[in-house]
Parts: sequence; C-alpha cells; structure tokens
Amino acid sequence: MADKHKPAPMVDEVSDFEVLEVAVRELAIEKGLFSAEDHRRFAEFAHSIGPLPAARLVAKSWLDPEFKKLALEDGFTASKEVGIDWLNPTGFGTPSDYCDLRVLENTPSVHHVVVCTLCSCYPRPILGHSPEWYRTPNYRRRLVRWPRQVLSEFGLQIPSDVEVRVEDSNQKCRFMVMPMRPEGTEDWSEDQLAEIVTRDCMLGVALPHPDRKADDKRPVHKAANPVHGH
Amino acid sequence: MPSDTRQKVLRHIDIVGQLQPALHQPQHAPLPTEIDNAHYRAYMRTSHDVGGEPDVTIQWHEKEEEQWELNTYVTCECLAWRGVWNAEERRRRQNVDLGQTQYLGLPYYGRWLLSAARIMVDKQHITLTELMNKIDEVKKRYE
Repeated sequence: MADKHKPAPMVDEVSDFEVLEVAVRELAIEKGLFSAEDHRRFAEFAHSIGPLPAARLVAKSWLDPEFKKLALEDGFTASKEVGIDWLNPTGFGTPSDYCDLRVLENTPSVHHVVVCTLCSCYPRPILGHSPEWYRTPNYRRRLVRWPRQVLSEFGLQIPSDVEVRVEDSNQKCRFMVMPMRPEGTEDWSEDQLAEIVTRDCMLGVALPHPDRKADDKRPVHKAANPVHGH
Repeated sequence: MPSDTRQKVLRHIDIVGQLQPALHQPQHAPLPTEIDNAHYRAYMRTSHDVGGEPDVTIQWHEKEEEQWELNTYVTCECLAWRGVWNAEERRRRQNVDLGQTQYLGLPYYGRWLLSAARIMVDKQHITLTELMNKIDEVKKRYE
C-alpha cells in the first residue's frame, strides 16, 4: 500500500555518481595516490566493523565495576580491552582523526542520546557505520531541541522526571551510551548480555530488554545497485 | 536545435529554477553601509550547522548501501590514509564549501564523492581535462 505512493526511482540509467566514483577511484590509483590493494584492504576493514565491540564494552561494564569505572573515565583505554585501538583501528595504519571516546552512563534520572549536528561524526571503529537516519538533516535539526519528541518517534518514551541529555559529537570526540542493565538479566553471561545491547541502545534511541536481540524493524530504502554481498 | 536537445535544455533550466533558494530579503551585492553586523553574522552561518532548526516529523528508515557509496567512503579514507587530505580539509569541503543547495540537495556520499574529485583537481594531482576524459571513458563502458 505504502509502496504505491512512493515516487518512481529517478535513476533509470547508470548514474553520474556511479560514473564519477569509478573515474575518481581509477584516477587516484593511476596517479599513485593510493593503490588498488589499499582500496581493497580498506574495503575489507569497512565490511568488518559493527556494533559488537561496543556491546561487549557495555556487557563487561555491567559485570565488572572496575571495568565500568575505566570505561567511564577513559573510553580510549577501555576500548582496547574489546579489541579497538582508536589510534590505529584498522591495524594497518589509517587516517583516524578521532581518538577520544566518551562513554555516557545512563542512570535512573538521566538518559543520554547522541547526535552530530554539524555533520555525521560517529564512533565507527567501535560501533560500525552510522545508520542513514543518523545522518539526516531532520534528526540533526530536531534532536537537540525536541529530543523527547524525536525519541518517541523511535518508540522510546522517556518519563518526564528523567532528564534527557543530548551529546553533540564532533571531529575529535565521539560518544556512545552505556544503557542501564535491564531487570531479568541476573546471572547472564557477558555473551548473553552483549546480545541485547544493540546499536540503537548505544545511540540512545532504544533501551535494552531481555527479549530484544535486534533493533526495531524500520522500513528500508532499497539501493539500485547494493553493496555486493548484502 | 534538435527538438530533443531543446527539451533537455528546457528541463535543465526548469530544474535549476526550482532549486533556487527562496530568499525573503532583496539581495543585490549591497554597499558596505547596507550590511549591519547582525546580517554579516547571519551570512557567515554555514549551511551544515542545522542543530535546532525546525523540521517535520518523519518516519525513520534504514537504508541499503549502494556499491558506489561504499566505494566512495573507502576512496575518501584511502586519500586520507595516504596523506592527500586531512580531517579538517575533508570537513570543509564536504560540509561548508558546497553551499546550501548542494549540501541539502545531494545524497550524503554524493557530497563525499564531489569533495574527493575536487581535492584531486585542486591539489593538482589530476587536471580537469583528465577527469573529464576519464568520465567520458567510463560512460562509454556502460553504453
């Protein structure tokens, strides 16, 4: 039903973006700015990242008060324990320009949510690629001013006696949310706990729940020529 | 002019017209005395600084990634890895330098891609002619 009202795709031929992408990549390689092997290796890294290290950081923190203290005081060092070195996230040298990770602890009286109003800064090494909605002008515009309304559109109602704190990311400093451990997870292992700490929980647009092992389903914009293997 | 060319030109002019921002004050390259500091400050606002602007409620979507989008991300990172640009240059080119029409009108990675092409030309790693020739050559592969 909804699909009927969708505009027909405007792209009915090879797009100028696709042509320009090939042209820029091939020229960069021909001129020796980087090699085809560099591109292949970085693409492999790009495929390998996701929210699991961050979920593990949260699960570890729930189980180990000492680690939690470290995570909140020094996200950079705590990240190393889940396999992420912010100075060298790929392991083969990269342009990492952000080395300060701040972990924001949710409490019974404060809920955190993350945005980047100026562009789309995101803790990619530990959380993977940002979702499309995080990059939209709409999310960036409204979240800092009407956070409760935006969160409610994500299905998250924050009670009025809980403060909502919006953290605005920037080039050098990235954020992730450490949600509160939900009831019903007593005696769970780190692996079990990590499974319910989804990407949306660590951005602050959802809360972990013992029965919730994946982010809420949302409509998906289909790609004309999706990434191979998707 | 052949009629299909004429149609294309008219369509181009039409779309360009529709993409002009709607201004609510006259603009005519004013005299220095006609610009007060409040206006100067407003003109200095960059179009990517959107925090706090009003917007409508929307349905939140996930998105499948185009192959060219992933390739663009990787190309931009490789250009940084090998020292062609740094984070400050990237941000300036991808966010500030585009102007509002392109900033809001192009896809996210479309902006990245333009900035990659432009840095290579601006830093004289390639000439515009080389870029245009390469674009023509790539287009022919798809014909």
